[in-house]
Amino acid sequence: MSAPPAPPMPRTAGSAAEAYRLEGELPMVEQPAVPFVEIETVRAREFIPAAKEAFGALIAEQGQAKLIRPTFNWAGRNSLFPLHWGLACCAIEFASAFSARWDSERFGIVPRSSPRQCDLMIVNGTVTWKVAHKLITLYEQMPEPKWVIAMGNCATGGGPFRTAYSVVPGVDKLVPVDVYIAGCPPRPEAMIDGILRLEELIRERRE
Amino acid sequence: MQSDDVARTVAAQIGERFLGLEPFPRTAGRLRFRSEAALPLFHTVKEQLGFHHLSMVGGIDWVTHREVFYVVWSDDRRQYLLLSADLPAAAPHIESAASVWPAANWHERETWELVDIQFDHHPDLRHLLLPDGYEAHPLLRSFQLHEPEELEVKQRSV
Repeated sequence: MSAPPAPPMPRTAGSAAEAYRLEGELPMVEQPAVPFVEIETVRAREFIPAAKEAFGALIAEQGQAKLIRPTFNWAGRNSLFPLHWGLACCAIEFASAFSARWDSERFGIVPRSSPRQCDLMIVNGTVTWKVAHKLITLYEQMPEPKWVIAMGNCATGGGPFRTAYSVVPGVDKLVPVDVYIAGCPPRPEAMIDGILRLEELIRERRE
Repeated sequence: MQSDDVARTVAAQIGERFLGLEPFPRTAGRLRFRSEAALPLFHTVKEQLGFHHLSMVGGIDWVTHREVFYVVWSDDRRQYLLLSADLPAAAPHIESAASVWPAANWHERETWELVDIQFDHHPDLRHLLLPDGYEAHPLLRSFQLHEPEELEVKQRSV
């Protein structure tokens, strides 16, 4: 005679998390309860005078010159609007970085289609000599302050096409580059990492 | 079988400048002609044989000579036809097909800049893929790759 089937595991013991524990899994550690904090909603018409007052006090205390640059840097690095160049396969990774999975918009990065609304140029792809002067034109149309990220091996140094007859060996031959992202193509995580490093650069910006 | 009338019609129109029709897989054949008969041949192929669609134009550098070829398509026959002409290696030139098939315009620009075949009476023979002022023809066998730095200096000076 075969053994009777094992009775189902009792689900009564422990917390709700314990009840959903899979067979063979380690028991969950009870986390201390997070105290619930009620957050007061502040309307804009109340926030702006309050912020004005606080900034006024800070300026009076520290001096305008000392405060204004960090404030601009703080605002600038949290609202980078990239102008993107869909030149090659890196643009696919760039697009997926803005999809639901990676959601780059939580860093304040919103791709725009006009260079006059952008302060960050992301060159993702192989730059040819044919497109080079258009790239320079669009870079010059961006308002200051502006930054450039070379995304992927082609934009960084020409990649596998470095010695080709029609490819610019690195976009830094055309415009000044702040951050290089390696990879062929780089994953969206790498792109986000590059942008966070650029934010570090902006944080340390003095003039 | 269908290509018999191609050979007959073309031979009737351009005479001994028609060099033969070789079988070519999955097409009506590969029609070889002398380059000076280009324009009458294009008109014959389009208007009498019904190959209304020019699919592509290309060139090959065979070192001893250059070859220019045209791939045309007929909706009635549901067949491609290849037109091919040998050109001399020194100063190769042929009449432009852009007046017969407007689609030839960009294809001939590309063929000119990459393989250095001059198309006479082309409406707008400018660079298509390469930057303006590019002097070399990269798909020639004699083309040498430059070091990137050399190329950069050259491009900057243009």
